[in-house]
Amino acid sequence: MADHYKPQVIEHLVRPRNVGEIEVPDGAGESGDAACGDIARFTVSVKDNTLEKVRYKVYGCAACIAAGSALAELVDGRHLLEAARVSKADLEDALGGPLPEGKEHAFTLVLDALHKAFEDYLNWRAGNLLVEGYNGCGPGESKTVVAAMSGGVDSAVTALLLKESGYDVATVTFRLHDGEPGSRSCCSPDTVLFARDTAHRMGLPHFTLNLKKLFDRRVMSDFVGSYASGSTPNPCVACNAHVKFHAAAFLADELGYYHVATGHYARVVQTPDGPAMVRPVDARKDQTYVLWPVPKKLLARTVFPLGEYEKTEVRRIAEERNLAVAYTPESQDICFIPDGNYRRFVRKKVKTEPGKVVDREGRVLGEHRGVVDFTVGQRRGLGVSAPHPLYVTEVRPRAKQVVVGRKRDLEISDIRVKNMNWYMRPEAASSVQIRYNSTPVPCEVERDGGNEWVVRFEKPVLGVAPGQSAVFYDGDKVVGGGVVARRGS
Amino acid sequence: MADSVYLDYAATSPLDGRVLEAMLPHLQGLRGNASSLHAPGAASHEAIEAARESVAALIGASPGDITFTGGGTESDNLAVLGLARANPEKRHIVVSPVEHAAVRESVRHLEQEGYEVTRLGVDGHGIVDPEELERALRPDTAFVAVMWANNEVGTVEPVEELARICIEKGVPLHADAVQAAGRVPLDVGRVPVSTLALSSHKIYGPQGVGALYVREGVKLEPVIFGGGQEKGLRSGTENLAGIAGFGAAARFAAEEFEERTRHEKELRDRIVEGVTTIPGVRLNGHPEMRLPNNVHLTVEGVESESLVLFLDALGYAIGRGSACASSGHKASPVLLAMGQGEREAFSAVRITVGKDNTSEEIDGFLEAFSRAVEQLRELSPLQTS
Repeated sequence: MADHYKPQVIEHLVRPRNVGEIEVPDGAGESGDAACGDIARFTVSVKDNTLEKVRYKVYGCAACIAAGSALAELVDGRHLLEAARVSKADLEDALGGPLPEGKEHAFTLVLDALHKAFEDYLNWRAGNLLVEGYNGCGPGESKTVVAAMSGGVDSAVTALLLKESGYDVATVTFRLHDGEPGSRSCCSPDTVLFARDTAHRMGLPHFTLNLKKLFDRRVMSDFVGSYASGSTPNPCVACNAHVKFHAAAFLADELGYYHVATGHYARVVQTPDGPAMVRPVDARKDQTYVLWPVPKKLLARTVFPLGEYEKTEVRRIAEERNLAVAYTPESQDICFIPDGNYRRFVRKKVKTEPGKVVDREGRVLGEHRGVVDFTVGQRRGLGVSAPHPLYVTEVRPRAKQVVVGRKRDLEISDIRVKNMNWYMRPEAASSVQIRYNSTPVPCEVERDGGNEWVVRFEKPVLGVAPGQSAVFYDGDKVVGGGVVARRGS
Repeated sequence: MADSVYLDYAATSPLDGRVLEAMLPHLQGLRGNASSLHAPGAASHEAIEAARESVAALIGASPGDITFTGGGTESDNLAVLGLARANPEKRHIVVSPVEHAAVRESVRHLEQEGYEVTRLGVDGHGIVDPEELERALRPDTAFVAVMWANNEVGTVEPVEELARICIEKGVPLHADAVQAAGRVPLDVGRVPVSTLALSSHKIYGPQGVGALYVREGVKLEPVIFGGGQEKGLRSGTENLAGIAGFGAAARFAAEEFEERTRHEKELRDRIVEGVTTIPGVRLNGHPEMRLPNNVHLTVEGVESESLVLFLDALGYAIGRGSACASSGHKASPVLLAMGQGEREAFSAVRITVGKDNTSEEIDGFLEAFSRAVEQLRELSPLQTS
């Protein structure tokens, strides 16, 4: 059962190239661990996006040593964009053919270590830029784009379509959270490897950025805090507002690229007044509701290729081009809570205290185990019996009270909205959408002196929860959006 | 690799030219079936019985207690499964944690059938504690298996003491002596093992033939069924040339025992002395109670496969420290049982010398070894002490 290697492997083993460690590297990356038997470490020096020096060390089998040596030799002196494109297949060529069975992990290991060194370099370049929010607008070339790759079918087809329409494409996967061990939710470590493979198979360079700190601060903390303060957060909105687009733009500026792209279903149309966000061709997949906070400056650089396609076409394209992602399941709900049990997630992060369930008149109807379990409009799990169905109409975290009432008590005719992001003149807003995938309601919008806006519905609507997004439309165009502050009346 | 210096005798050994001579007549022309009544059959029968005598003599046994098999693994399987099947009411097995896979896996097979298995511990040198064995024995213990000498780290077990404990409780002891044969004195007249496994190709005989010693009176069920050869314990037409070769190899092993082991010991000690001057290189297994030809090392900061292949490129053939399938990438159970961590276990190599090695070869090896270790450590991101 011995392994028999090609002579090229033995040659690299006995005379490895670029061995060592740069003392003060611009980037360092390590992959593997002693328990699995192999560790690879890459250090790089980068100047003007070119790898001036590449050094590697490996503890591991001959395959790992040879793969590391071959990779170091392939990328030394190359531009980052070229180096980030070197794939398993390239390594296989360099080593004279496939490795013996069971040794293929050597390629994954050394590529991962090198890419982590790139990630380390880029995160050092970013410094606090990505934590504080990035709004740079580099002088990139016009037909160039950084495409976000989550490991799913949508982002893979996005990158492919851009490549086929003549863009120079660089792909990027964000490390947003550690996920649950063993889970395959997006942005988990396995997903990064999968996304890298997918990019490399398309011949595209792949990068990773570690945004865990930023994501934790701007998305997860906000998510947990919202429930604790009685409002209903939308983490995808928070991520689009502060994380994804900023990070992609940062990388584009680093690489001298101009555009950024994601696999969202939406369209960007250039108008004389600047860019406008428009609903996509596939109405059922419409994601404009969660994209409203993308800053105008970033929207101007953004491309959403999938906005022109039906989801079924996207899957068909993936199948036709033999993308392994064609059969990945639809991503669900909230990426950092793969089991979907967000109550449990919140409860792990905050202390909650029991309190009373009351009616609108303040009469106590029952007890609850913490306000984080409730959101406006909720009907289940109230623990109160009544002759007619009861709904949560308000959450009062300070008083630890959950207010319930009948369905008609949820009806409201106006709301107040804050944290606005306008793409067009507010007066253009003719309707407002207050839930994902719901029908917009005709409305009037008016500034309330300060930073809040009053939205008056043409007809009363049901159950608007504070913390949710209110997105304004003029026909198919997104006029702007904001966060529901509270009910108006 | 004709020029390569071979230092992996525990894996297999080259066929002795004199053994080949003894085999040739049985490979050419008419080879009668030993079961046939006619003259060619009788000649074959005679050759097999002569071999049986030689093999028996190597371990101090009566020829009638030797059963020829298809190799060491088959011998171990026959002993483990055969002892269990012969005592179906006994459902408990005691086994050391450092057994060769041939014993380990056949015991696991019985465990899956519902047998209860007690796995003994070993100390840091890989030695079984006789008192622990004594405590583990039960009225329903079908058999005990402890190898005579370990194939990885080379430690020689106190089999005589273990066998006496077993005999007192009336429990059969199976000893795998595949590595021990020809390298440590084996005398079943003095050591009351019930069964003992042998292999030909570790003592310069042909591959594909082995033997199981079964003490008279020990009940054993066959695991291969057919024409009833080997007193019904191993059906199938005998591997005539192989058995004749095994016989010759056993004869030379007995005759040259002193000379071979003295030579091997000399070379072994030369290697140990040389390699342990390198920091972070440690000898595994018992320093004295070990096979005369075995050097088992942990080389900190170096993964074993890369060291083996590096030395191979320099013209020296040594073994990986773990006997397991290398691509499976699991640490050796033997080293783990001896209390080593996984990383240490991945950094082990085995050098085993033989009668044909010279001290010049060893000097060359020592040079190559230190060069390989130095270069691979330069490559390693792990700290070495």
